[in-house]
Amino acid sequence: MKKFGSFRALDGLDLEVASGEVHGFLGPNGSGKSVTMRILLGLMRHDGGDLALLGGDPWRDAVKLHRRLAYVPGDTNLWPNLTGGEIIDLIGELRGGLDHGRRAELIDRFDLDPRKRARAYSKGNRQKVALVAALASDAELLMLDEPTAGLDPLMEAVFQDCILRAKGEGRTVLLSSHILAEVEKLCDRITIIRQGRTVQSGTLAELRHLTRTTVSATTDRPPERLAELPGVHDVRVDDGLVSFDVDSDNLDGAIRRLTELGLRSLSSHPPTLEDLFLRHYDEELTEAGVEQNER
Amino acid sequence: MSALTGTWRLTRFIVRRDRVRLAIWIVAIAALAYAQGISLHDVYPDQAAVQSYVDLFGDNPALIAFAGPGYGFDDPNLGVVLVNEIQVFGCIATALMSIFLLNRSTRAEEDSERAALVRSTRVGRHAPTAAAVGVVAAANVITGTLCALAFIAADYPVVGSIALAGSIAAAGLVFAGVTAVAAQAASSGRATIGGASAALGAAFVLRAAGDIGDNGLSWLSPIGWAQAVRAYADERWWTLGLCLVVAALLVLGAFWLATKRDLGSGMRPESAGPPGAASWIRRPIGLAFRLQRGSLFGWIVGLFITGVVFGSLGEDVDRLFEENPALRDVFAQLGAGDPTDAFMATSMTMLALMAGGFAVSATLHLHGEEGAGRVESILSAAVSRQRWAIGYLAVAVAGTTIMVAAAGAGVGIAYAVVAGQPGEIMPLVGAALVTVPGVLVLVGLAMLLVGFAPRASMAAWAGLALMVLIGFLGDILQLPDWALDLSPLQHLPAVPAESASAPPIVAVTLVAGALAAAGLWGLRSRDIQLH
Repeated sequence: MKKFGSFRALDGLDLEVASGEVHGFLGPNGSGKSVTMRILLGLMRHDGGDLALLGGDPWRDAVKLHRRLAYVPGDTNLWPNLTGGEIIDLIGELRGGLDHGRRAELIDRFDLDPRKRARAYSKGNRQKVALVAALASDAELLMLDEPTAGLDPLMEAVFQDCILRAKGEGRTVLLSSHILAEVEKLCDRITIIRQGRTVQSGTLAELRHLTRTTVSATTDRPPERLAELPGVHDVRVDDGLVSFDVDSDNLDGAIRRLTELGLRSLSSHPPTLEDLFLRHYDEELTEAGVEQNER
Repeated sequence: MSALTGTWRLTRFIVRRDRVRLAIWIVAIAALAYAQGISLHDVYPDQAAVQSYVDLFGDNPALIAFAGPGYGFDDPNLGVVLVNEIQVFGCIATALMSIFLLNRSTRAEEDSERAALVRSTRVGRHAPTAAAVGVVAAANVITGTLCALAFIAADYPVVGSIALAGSIAAAGLVFAGVTAVAAQAASSGRATIGGASAALGAAFVLRAAGDIGDNGLSWLSPIGWAQAVRAYADERWWTLGLCLVVAALLVLGAFWLATKRDLGSGMRPESAGPPGAASWIRRPIGLAFRLQRGSLFGWIVGLFITGVVFGSLGEDVDRLFEENPALRDVFAQLGAGDPTDAFMATSMTMLALMAGGFAVSATLHLHGEEGAGRVESILSAAVSRQRWAIGYLAVAVAGTTIMVAAAGAGVGIAYAVVAGQPGEIMPLVGAALVTVPGVLVLVGLAMLLVGFAPRASMAAWAGLALMVLIGFLGDILQLPDWALDLSPLQHLPAVPAESASAPPIVAVTLVAGALAAAGLWGLRSRDIQLH
């Protein structure tokens, strides 16, 4: 738990990252992701609850633990009159050294000009400086707070590649993100938080189990009485194309019915994290709406 | 759409955005002008006092370098004393006002994405520069008008007052033009300020060298033109006209340059920096030094030069106080004993208080790093908060010590030259160093605030202000002893007027150390502030 005055920034947060996994940490703005990161880094104290990082106390053992982790802040603020290369070396050395071969390789892959002063960098380039500094280390834990904000799609791909490689090397990654496709591609498990509370946590498969599959199909006969089936929601018919969402447990029945109608084309896709996220976010919006109406 | 479309709307926008800054600059300069005008009546009440001032300034190169060639010293009146006291600093003040305000609305806007946003609307290529120049020119004219009224209100002749105030405004206008050109040539807002400030520094040095050598170099400097109006001494108005013509030509030059470059780029690209960090930067103390290197160097040079000015007066002190007892009150701390020693001791206090400015700002840099969100990168590495903070404290302590020593050396060298006593250099350096523990108490205070009350850490400046107040006005205001005792400098021996003794020096040093240690402890126990 973390309080700022009487405001409970974190309350009921449950986050467990297993060694060697890539763990996605999702939540809307202001939900407490950055505060959690800062508490894990010992920059802030927690007011209640149990907390351990790499077997130590983040507050008491901060320096010792920081030798084993690398952090990329969400909002990368750099010293305007130092060059990108100087900052990479500085942060790397303060952490306990970095791999010079890997530093050169990363600078090349991220297409970063290390001779430019930080004040001349765009947001994306500032982010690259922080990423190179973190990835060029041999830290066993990478803590990345929305690391791809500001990167273009090409650089995002480079980033994803680097994370997969880090995972291959047996490193642990805690990745907070808004880019859901990225989390989907990279993460073994995810934790979703909202207003400082964990609302869902598990592997992607586990979370998908809780959700609906989207099905689109065209059939010989008009798609009637589909909406009556159990677990089928939100049926839309548009020029012979029918699409609907169906709970995973009722998928079988729904597909049977489509087959009976003479199936000509079928596509279905598992829910994206976008859907997951929007559902939790939607509930929040709905709750807020209800409250407003009651007033 | 012409190149000037939208100028009027942008003008109103700049005035709206900078209304507080504009008001502070204008009112502060005019108020200082009025205060100076009034106070001179008290310090130089009669013709004899004016004459003694003129005798002193007429042949002291250090004073000429700071004040000017002394137009009208042949047949002096209080007006030429006012000119000598205020003109150069007035010109520098309006020039800085022009540099900062103009850059803020032009080149600095291009560094952010805001300029592109503005220019994407119905706004012509030259409109932002034209609007900014218009606002800054108006600010200079208003400042000049208020200064003229201030001098007249302070009972100086009307024509000379207009000439003096006009020269101050004219210098500001020239540097508005200089900044407009620099904003086109430089590659960032920072570089614009750097370039325009360098031009201002060159203008100051050229006229200083010209005034001392009486060799015409002053005619290469806008400040020299402004001074050559000869306020209160048979005015020559055309030199102000020269300023206006040059200012106008510079602005036109800026418009021309603007057609030759892309928005956001400079004439001269920013030079590439090192691709990696030297090993000394890669530790907290090295970083703290690297980040403050430029300002530290500036402070050391500035204090050394100020020391030279004080030292060069050393020989004149006896005569000065005999001829003008009123000056004796200005140096309120002077006791009995040798006037030269008392003057030196007071000089050391003044220099120490100036170094206090660096001491406070260097320590508060810690909190600046926190507020700017840069500290996360440091503290998330294997660096403890203490180690991070001690880096800054070390720079503050060492920097303060070095600059106070440099100031003492400046006093000593200048005095050695004017008095022909080379043996005085080291004792005067020592006298300066005795004040260092008093300044370090400010480092301790700032650290204490950063540790326990980061949001209130600016209060460390109040500590410096209190020390200045006690140091200069304590006796005049007849403050009680307990109030005087609040300033650590009061507890240190006023060398060379008093002899140095170790116990107070050690005690004050311990107080500074205790404050800093407490601050470090506080820093360890609190949350790092969210950016």
